[in-house]
Amino acid sequence: MPVTVKVELFGIPRARAGVAQAISSGHKLGDVLSDMASRFPELANCCIKGRHLKPGFTANLSGHRFVTDPETLLSDGDSVLILSLDAGG
Amino acid sequence: MRREIPGYHGCYLRINLSEESSTAIPLDPQILRHYLGGSGLGVAILLHERAADVDPLSPKAPIAFVFSPLVGSPLTTSAKFAVVSKSPLTNRINDSLASSGFALAGKKTGHDAIVLVGQVRRPSILVIDDDQVRIESADDCWGLSNRETRDRLRLRYGNEFQTATIGQAGERQVRYATISHDGRHAGRGGSGAVLGSKNIKAIAVRGTNRPQWAEPAALVGLAKQLSEKSFGPATAKYRELGTASNLLTFNRLNVLPTRNFQEGSFAGAIAISPEELSIARDRARASCAACTIGCEHLYSMKNGSGSVRLEYENLFAFGPLCGIDDPEVVLEASRRCDEWGLDTISAGGTIAFAMECVERNLLDEPWLKFGDGQSLLRALDSIVSGNGIGGLLAEGSRRMAHHIGHESIAFAPQVKGLELPGYDPRGLQTMALGFAVGTRGADHNRSGAYEVDFSEAVDRKNVGPEAAPLAIETEDKAALMDSLILCKFLRGVFTDFFAESAEILQLVTGWDVTADELRETARRIVTAKKRFNILAGWTPGEDTLPSRMLQKPASDDLRGHLSLERLNELISAYNQARGWSPEGWLSQTDMQSEIF
Repeated sequence: MPVTVKVELFGIPRARAGVAQAISSGHKLGDVLSDMASRFPELANCCIKGRHLKPGFTANLSGHRFVTDPETLLSDGDSVLILSLDAGG
Repeated sequence: MRREIPGYHGCYLRINLSEESSTAIPLDPQILRHYLGGSGLGVAILLHERAADVDPLSPKAPIAFVFSPLVGSPLTTSAKFAVVSKSPLTNRINDSLASSGFALAGKKTGHDAIVLVGQVRRPSILVIDDDQVRIESADDCWGLSNRETRDRLRLRYGNEFQTATIGQAGERQVRYATISHDGRHAGRGGSGAVLGSKNIKAIAVRGTNRPQWAEPAALVGLAKQLSEKSFGPATAKYRELGTASNLLTFNRLNVLPTRNFQEGSFAGAIAISPEELSIARDRARASCAACTIGCEHLYSMKNGSGSVRLEYENLFAFGPLCGIDDPEVVLEASRRCDEWGLDTISAGGTIAFAMECVERNLLDEPWLKFGDGQSLLRALDSIVSGNGIGGLLAEGSRRMAHHIGHESIAFAPQVKGLELPGYDPRGLQTMALGFAVGTRGADHNRSGAYEVDFSEAVDRKNVGPEAAPLAIETEDKAALMDSLILCKFLRGVFTDFFAESAEILQLVTGWDVTADELRETARRIVTAKKRFNILAGWTPGEDTLPSRMLQKPASDDLRGHLSLERLNELISAYNQARGWSPEGWLSQTDMQSEIF
């Protein structure tokens, strides 16, 4: 059974998708990224290639662990944060 | 005897303000190759000038405006200069960078750096026109803001001259006063106070000397490629949103310093976020000279005061750090700091510390409260007027804590006296190491260790010694970028930064420089800064964090816990990976090696 996750978008990913949050589902990070890419073409253009994030972007699970491997397993209720890698201020 | 090499003039201009004299001091090619320019060359010059053991606000203290081999080249973001001196805030090395026309005009005076020593008797403008130096009265500028001074000097000298100015904060020698050029600031560590102590209100520069490039055609080709890459995704965040877009991300990750680092997230973050500001206000973009990124985002004020540059650091410092969610207040505070020449991080950090002291009944200023925008603005006014609590606030949080006592130093948000930027080190523990060991104090520009925390390489809330070499890598990259000089917002466009930098330097200078040589150069520069600090009285106990950040967190604290013991393990691993003693001392060889 695919799990349901909340996807939270920050910075450029948010600007491209035009939304701050979305609900998605899948067993793995790559599933969620594919789903988001199919629903938000501009987000895909900029940030997602297949089941991977493009260079310059990263994902974080529920505000804790940074992840990029599309095979990363997700749990029900996880939040997947998609953000710019560069945090320089 | 001056020996020119491509990209350089081969000398620095040493101006003795007390004697009203100037001398061109030759720079040996080996010195230039070892320290490059900017921060690196600046610290070498300061060691040569024996600046480490002087009072930074005394006439004897030198202050160096240092250019670089890339200044004036067609390379994007290369119009930069470093201001290097001993910091009156930390009493340690300080190198702060700014951009734009002053770097271009300053280098065209025919010097790789301009060094001021001594002091003039009356407020003055220092005018450098090629190799001609003169000192003119600043009686009509003293007391004016940065912008007013720039505009007045533009009328006086014309557009060919570029000016670096101090505002009222520098005149009053506020220990975190900036030096401003065209709205940008050499911001941290109080270089504006050093200039103010010399009675120099502004430096105006103009020149006609352009160094040659070793391989100009190839350099133009490479610069074109770099510019094209700078339009890509690696800089999109800076171009489209600006640094302020960090705010909501950091808030979500619970590393947004709030109410003087008492919390890691801020309920009012959305109200002051750039995403929200963009809806309600006009926004314009600007860029430094010779920059293709254009990271500056200016937001209009509703009170009719024009537009204000908004960066993450001033947004965090006057917003969450002081508990303020009114964007108009944050913009107004930023505007005042721009005009008066105050480092926004240190100003916000010191005021937030004072707010907590009031909350704890350690300071009898009941009007100064978290969340009260008018009290923030009143506190800023007092810093520049010197009235009331302003004299104490002007000293920075460390000196203020020593004055207040009652162990308030435990929550003064500083390392070595420099207030922490907007990264909570408890949840970004590689950055915590970078803050603790940083030669200029807690600083996100000399160590980019947050990049490691934003990766899978470490668990950002439970970092171990394996992070030390990764932190060193970011520090070495920063040392090289600050010495070449290139903007750090460009770093994402390089695939192999050291190798590509070597290629750039080859085309500019003709040197057969390699990536490995530049790695060694970066380490040499970091070591030179450490050497300066040791000569200035550094001891290992300075390399730490405020003790509040090393205490056991509340059980619901999502920021993680970094104990003193674990921080010390990280520091020891860092020192040994640098080839220093576990405590951080340099070898006799490193301490005694010839600089010039």
